[in-house]
Amino acid sequence: MKMTNFKGTREAFAAAITDLAAENSKIMFVSPDSLKAMRATKFAELHPDQYIEVGISEQCAVDTAAGLASTGLIPFVGTYAGFLTMRACEQMRTFVAYPNLNVKFIGINSGLLGGEREGVTHQFYEDVGILSNIPNFAIFTPADAAQTYHSVLEAAKIDGPVYIRAGSGREEDVFDKNTPFHKDGITVLKQYGNDALLLSSGFVLPRVLEAADILKTKEIRVTAADVNILYGRDPSKILDAMSKTNQIITVEDHNVNGGLGAYISKLACENRPARVKRIGLTTFGESGPAKELADSYGFKPETIAETVLAELEKTC
Amino acid sequence: MNSTELKSVADHLRFETVKMVYEGGDGHPGPALSIADIIATLYFDEMRIDPSNPNWEDRDRFILSKGHACPIYYAALSEKGYFGEKVENFQLRALGSKFQGHPVMNKTRGVDMISGSLGNGISIGVGMAIAGKYRKKDYNVFVITGDGELQEGVCWEGINAAAAHKLDNLIVFVDRNGWQSGGKVADIIGSNNIKERFKSFSWDAQEIDGHDTDAIKAAIARAKAAKGKPSVIVCNCIKGKGLSYMENNNAWHKGVPTKEQFEIAKKELAGE
Repeated sequence: MKMTNFKGTREAFAAAITDLAAENSKIMFVSPDSLKAMRATKFAELHPDQYIEVGISEQCAVDTAAGLASTGLIPFVGTYAGFLTMRACEQMRTFVAYPNLNVKFIGINSGLLGGEREGVTHQFYEDVGILSNIPNFAIFTPADAAQTYHSVLEAAKIDGPVYIRAGSGREEDVFDKNTPFHKDGITVLKQYGNDALLLSSGFVLPRVLEAADILKTKEIRVTAADVNILYGRDPSKILDAMSKTNQIITVEDHNVNGGLGAYISKLACENRPARVKRIGLTTFGESGPAKELADSYGFKPETIAETVLAELEKTC
Repeated sequence: MNSTELKSVADHLRFETVKMVYEGGDGHPGPALSIADIIATLYFDEMRIDPSNPNWEDRDRFILSKGHACPIYYAALSEKGYFGEKVENFQLRALGSKFQGHPVMNKTRGVDMISGSLGNGISIGVGMAIAGKYRKKDYNVFVITGDGELQEGVCWEGINAAAAHKLDNLIVFVDRNGWQSGGKVADIIGSNNIKERFKSFSWDAQEIDGHDTDAIKAAIARAKAAKGKPSVIVCNCIKGKGLSYMENNNAWHKGVPTKEQFEIAKKELAGE
């Protein structure tokens, strides 16, 4: 498949569905006036019959997608993460997840980094927690634009509902552009030692990797990994990584409840006890430039490193 | 089918509904009896369906948006042969039953879409209707919604989108029986002139007697002839229609007949 160029997660999504639609006439994009927000204008030009505009009406968008999917089409619904998972939560649950219809969702502006200057109304740090309570959803949290592109391709291969957590274009590139979206649910990116395991979800990954480097200079040797599928059916590879240490730190641009931290805590409790420290959000955010905002809410690499050190001291 | 035959089918479906609720010990008979004549006309005269091939791509689609009225839907599907032999005891709402409290497409053959959470049928019908046009299929999508149900905001999102997409393959029936769970629609929030509201959203709109099968057939024919816009058929109905003690008595929105009441239903609906 030809890969359309992109920069940022929204462009990556648009590139991926454009490439998919070039080969599969069943691919549809349902837009609750999100065509521009999803950077999908070119998709609509190239595939006008596969672009379904319903206006600013997320519940209708999800219902429409359910209707399309019931006939065998493969609709993608993309807009701000919370307008999907909160405003249209019931439609995602009852009319897509329960009948296991083949609808894909892309929630943009996830987290502080995704929402940044827009403020709390457009920053969403609860989406994964909401969906983790709903059966049949596959939840993908790509860490950069390239991974978002590949996550969309992977979502199209699954026969059933998928949610992809995306940002707004402020993400740093981490992965090589051709790296597929790993179905194992985990990719180890730094392996300095087993003093602690740092697990990251989504676009905070570069900060977690930097924290691992900072810790190395302090003679603390950790492993840092990206967890890209939450609450997946086969967490064995994540458990393998968890089995090598007694101290796990999770870092997510999401509330500490319901997302990566909760998932890893569950895995630890049920399978392989270890201390789990969850770094994430416990309050609402606010407006601000992405980098400064993330720094001030606990995602500064130095802050993450300090938290790891403090946790390790507790166990000494 | 002529109107006499359809009346006979509708009354039989009404009886099966009351029997289903009586035997199951739970359910919504009043809202089901209200739409018996619409269901009979759709399933026994109008819709292009094949009960032996419920997933046929070219079939007409049906969404019972007011999903709590499902006993009459199940009765129609049974009568049409979707379950092979006609179902003797539906075990409505029983543990493990394929006849759930509200329709579920993965559990009940012939059900095109899950429903019961009010307000969503029209928006889902929009998706089915767009898919039909996109895939160059000539099927129609029929939706039955309640008049109280139209208070849900998502209805109007779908009504708006249907008009924008010129979905002349989408036909919505509004069961305008004037009642909702908590009382009279007019008392709770106002009836708000349903036909005119649809018209103002650029729909083709008609208002008929929802118990006159000839009128229902004629309205469907007119709706299908209205090109470039979706159609609504506002059906003036009587909640609990056909059974003396249920008619216009909102206590039967949800309720189970006693043995004596069931015997009355046998007399009035089954001629026993």
